[in-house]
Amino acid sequence: MDLKEKLVSSFMAFENNVDVDHPVHDIRTEAIKNFEAKGFPTKKEEAWKYTSLNSVLKTDFSIFPKEENALEYHQVKKYFLHEIDTYKIVFIDGIYSSYLSETTHDGVDICLMSSALTKPMYKPVIDVYFNKAASNDESLTTLNTAFSREGAYIYIPKNKAPKKPVEIIHFATGNEASLMLQPRNLIIAEENAELQVIERHQSLTGNPVLTNSVTEIFAAKNAIVDYYKVQNDSEQATLIDNTYIAQKDKSVVNVHTFSFGGKLTRNNLNFYQHGEHIESTLKGVTILGEKQHVDHHTLVHHQQPNCESHQDYKGIYGEKSTGVFNGKIIVDKIAQKTNAFQQNNNVLISDQATVNTKPQLEIFADDVKCSHGCTIGQLDEDALFYLQSRGIPRKEATGLLMYAFANNVLESVRLPELKKRINKLIATKLGVRLGFDL
Amino acid sequence: MLKIKNLHAGVEGKKILKGVNLEVNPGEIHAIMGPNGSGKSTLASVIAGKEDFEISKGSVVFEGEDLEEVAPEERAHKGIFLSFQYPVEIPGVTVTNFMKTAINESRKARGLEDMPANEMLKRIREKSELLDIDRKFLSRSLNEGFSGGEKKRNEIFQMAMLEPKLAILDETDSGLDIDALRIVANGVNKLRNKDNAVIVITHYQRLLEYIIPDFVHVIHDGKIVKSGTKELALELEEKGYDWIKKEPVA
Amino acid sequence: MAYTEEELKKELETKEYEYGFYTDIESDTFPKGLNEEVIIALSKKKEEPDWMTQWRLEAYRGWKEMIEPEWANIHYKKPDFQDISYYSAPNKKPKYNSLDEVDPELLNTFKRLGISIDEQKKLAGVAVDIVMDSVSVATTFKKTLAEKGIIFCSISEAIQEHPELVKKYIGTVVPPKDNFYAALNSAVFSDGSFCYIPKGVKCPMELSTYFRINQAGTGQFERTLVIADEGSYVSYLEGCTAPSRDENQLHAAVVELIALDDAEIKYSTVQNWFPGDKEGKGGVYNFVTKRGLCERNAKISWTQVETGSAITWKYPSCILKGDNSIGEFYSIAVTNNFQQADTGTKMIHLGKNTRSTIISKGISAGKSQNSYRGLVQVNSRAENARNFSQCDSLLMGNECGAHTFPYIEAKNKTAQIEHEATTSKIGEDQIFYCNQRGIDTEKAIALIVNGFSKEVLNKLPMEFAVEAQKLLEISLEGSVG
Repeated sequence: MDLKEKLVSSFMAFENNVDVDHPVHDIRTEAIKNFEAKGFPTKKEEAWKYTSLNSVLKTDFSIFPKEENALEYHQVKKYFLHEIDTYKIVFIDGIYSSYLSETTHDGVDICLMSSALTKPMYKPVIDVYFNKAASNDESLTTLNTAFSREGAYIYIPKNKAPKKPVEIIHFATGNEASLMLQPRNLIIAEENAELQVIERHQSLTGNPVLTNSVTEIFAAKNAIVDYYKVQNDSEQATLIDNTYIAQKDKSVVNVHTFSFGGKLTRNNLNFYQHGEHIESTLKGVTILGEKQHVDHHTLVHHQQPNCESHQDYKGIYGEKSTGVFNGKIIVDKIAQKTNAFQQNNNVLISDQATVNTKPQLEIFADDVKCSHGCTIGQLDEDALFYLQSRGIPRKEATGLLMYAFANNVLESVRLPELKKRINKLIATKLGVRLGFDL
Repeated sequence: MLKIKNLHAGVEGKKILKGVNLEVNPGEIHAIMGPNGSGKSTLASVIAGKEDFEISKGSVVFEGEDLEEVAPEERAHKGIFLSFQYPVEIPGVTVTNFMKTAINESRKARGLEDMPANEMLKRIREKSELLDIDRKFLSRSLNEGFSGGEKKRNEIFQMAMLEPKLAILDETDSGLDIDALRIVANGVNKLRNKDNAVIVITHYQRLLEYIIPDFVHVIHDGKIVKSGTKELALELEEKGYDWIKKEPVA
Repeated sequence: MAYTEEELKKELETKEYEYGFYTDIESDTFPKGLNEEVIIALSKKKEEPDWMTQWRLEAYRGWKEMIEPEWANIHYKKPDFQDISYYSAPNKKPKYNSLDEVDPELLNTFKRLGISIDEQKKLAGVAVDIVMDSVSVATTFKKTLAEKGIIFCSISEAIQEHPELVKKYIGTVVPPKDNFYAALNSAVFSDGSFCYIPKGVKCPMELSTYFRINQAGTGQFERTLVIADEGSYVSYLEGCTAPSRDENQLHAAVVELIALDDAEIKYSTVQNWFPGDKEGKGGVYNFVTKRGLCERNAKISWTQVETGSAITWKYPSCILKGDNSIGEFYSIAVTNNFQQADTGTKMIHLGKNTRSTIISKGISAGKSQNSYRGLVQVNSRAENARNFSQCDSLLMGNECGAHTFPYIEAKNKTAQIEHEATTSKIGEDQIFYCNQRGIDTEKAIALIVNGFSKEVLNKLPMEFAVEAQKLLEISLEGSVG
């Protein structure tokens, strides 16, 4: 039985464990139908031209973990941003770990999707927001919707901001030979609300894990949301991250994606601007080696006038790795005075690495400023020579330049501790020994 | 030559000019000074016919003709030239080609044939020498990547090429260093004769040391509040614009 | 008062297609429909050798299995391929020795199009091979060229006279089953041009072909084959105009260029087929496959000015097979009213030190959609490949669209690729600036568009550049944004 059949046939078992009378279940049943009709995407689809799921789908993943697993904090401390205090929503093999978590209901709700989907007090919010930004068409998103039950639920009311950043961490223990996880996150920042989130998926062994995650983010008028994705998983992990962001007037949403680990990572990051004077920022650093494959698909849909979007993705590809960037900007007819910028720069450092990039503009309004640029190239030989002439060996000089190339994306990271952490990850990944403190 | 009577004009319902009167005769140089936002540049744009501005009252008459219904290009054909405060970039169109088009369009309006190529070349050579302009400069795209000084010098070059009857220099001195200022002023003075007139719009007195005005007008809150000779400019420089703002309207 | 946008729009709408007239010449036309018998009859009518007939049949069988592609950003009613006549020839004498023998009505048509053959012969020094519908009716300057060993004739004639060259090269760059339209063309191509430049010869004049579509319900399927032997050079010009028609007309051409070691081919096109009227009715469907192959140190340069056709689907490409070879693509695509263009290029870097440049300028007005679609591919063995691409769009008015779909694939770490794209409009401040200098709005737009397109216009041969500039002006008159 292939994975698609297995998933479809296990939907009935799943239904035994959820409230089938809840309106959300109608959405789930509709979604499983859509997924059944469409199946997993193939390379024949334009959006999957450069990424094949075939080898991943051959694995016989368990869809529900057989038993609950526990972890001690000291085992996983290094995956937390432990230098500062944070709220934590932690899952172990897809199951909430109250032991490792720190949630709150103090003026804001930072808690679990499973509670939000079952407790009546959350129903009004769920009715308004659940699955309202996510696609009903994209097959992996519908698959997640069908099995949506657990994940993070964050609700920040008008004029509020949580006291500290929120970390969402998914651990895979590897106690299961191969596990499929489908977390579903819902994040809402009401008018003038502010929020910072760090999301991470981490396998603790080399056993294969397939994560198909969907996150919906709603930013109301004047809200500010910073979202950081740290993708540094083990070499057998596959992550499909579908993020949908709906913004209203004058809101600001910044998403940073740091992709260093994992076997195959696919990011579908979609921004929909539903108001004026919105700012959307999408930034990413990707550093790959071995046979790693990362595919960034971004969409910014400018639907109203006077909005801005900025995209800046940097990639360094070594060994037999493959990088894909497909950035789409759509500017609707009424979205006059749009400013949309997109930049994608790549460095290939191995003979066997590949980069495929497709920056795409679809413009229907005339009074707009849109531009994209992309480059594939090497490090500046003059700069290398300059460093060497100052006594820095070529290898270190190369590392330093690559570090500098990737590093400027970090300027907009507003959590200093996280910036430091990412800096270190970049340095480690590039094998650069930094003689200075960050 | 130019008669402005009780001119009221504004943009998007906002009143900027509130009753300007001004008469300019051939051979004269008028300076219009005033603080930021007093309506100096608006006056220039209205004379040149920028459509964003609406005239609610009064008139602008040039050589006996009311300009209200006259398109900007026709005003240019009649001999009105505006040196822009912020000259516009047109990528891919060289200064030379732009000038050729402009001159020939004006000639066409007057029922003349295109200017013969040799005559055009001669004029370009003369005028670029007059303004100390490098010939290479003429084959660059219009204003694209020009420095502030180059843009302004290019405006005066165009003025020289088009030989207007009335030239309005809108803040031509802003962004110029002293050498560039001297070259520009020198060009204007050389082009001056008994048949043409110049209106110099400026915030500072500095330019007027090089282009000596016959009359100085001070504009404040959309009206000319004081007129005089070149001494007025010096007095203004000394006392500052607050002096005007405080004085009751004359 | 200045010219208003409304007035401009009105004027544009009433502007009929400049070259919209139709010549009444009796035609020898096949009944509509396509099957193996039609292909055999067509091949027989053209007195082709058996290998050619078989080649066509092979392509036809391939085509039957294919489906019409849908990936392009264009929307149209698919042509009914059984409702097309696949052969039509002017009915008078098949060949003329001099222009005097040509039907005076036909000559008149050309004159109205501004293609006065005799004048062009003398003044421009251009050898003109005119394709009237499907059969070559006049070839000039053949003698001069023959002295240098240059072969320039219709492809039908080449199949008769130079079968060894045709057989060796046809289908080597665009295989018969390359894509749906190329396969159709391979099966039914009616005529086209053939050109061979011998080793070391620099062709002394621009070679030029004017294509026309002039028969109701006839599709045109030209086939062009240009071979530049080692160290040779040729500049080839292709220009098109077509009479106004109500019914959509299909055009599916194939152009193959072969530049052997150290050779250079410059291929320039000005395309101005009937774009349909202001309601989007009628107009030519233009589905073209153009591709060139570069051997060692060779260079192929495509320059195109596309102002016509209701639908344009066209990607002149270069396969940079030989080391140090160079590919260039310079394009201006203008769409107005309901036109749709999906055009661009493919640069396939296979050899070492290969270089490519792409400059694409898209101008959209009216309710049109203009797309750039390009591929830059650097193969794993293509050491030190370089590419620079620039795609700029200019939008006029708020009912049109400009789209950019660049695909960039690099498999070699020494590759250097740069891609830039921008979108802009004509600013009101630019127009006012021009007005103030005495230039009216319409002229100002022409000037600004010209400036925008300059990098490409500069690549055209002189006499073509003038025509192209005129075309840009005509195509965009009144469409101020």
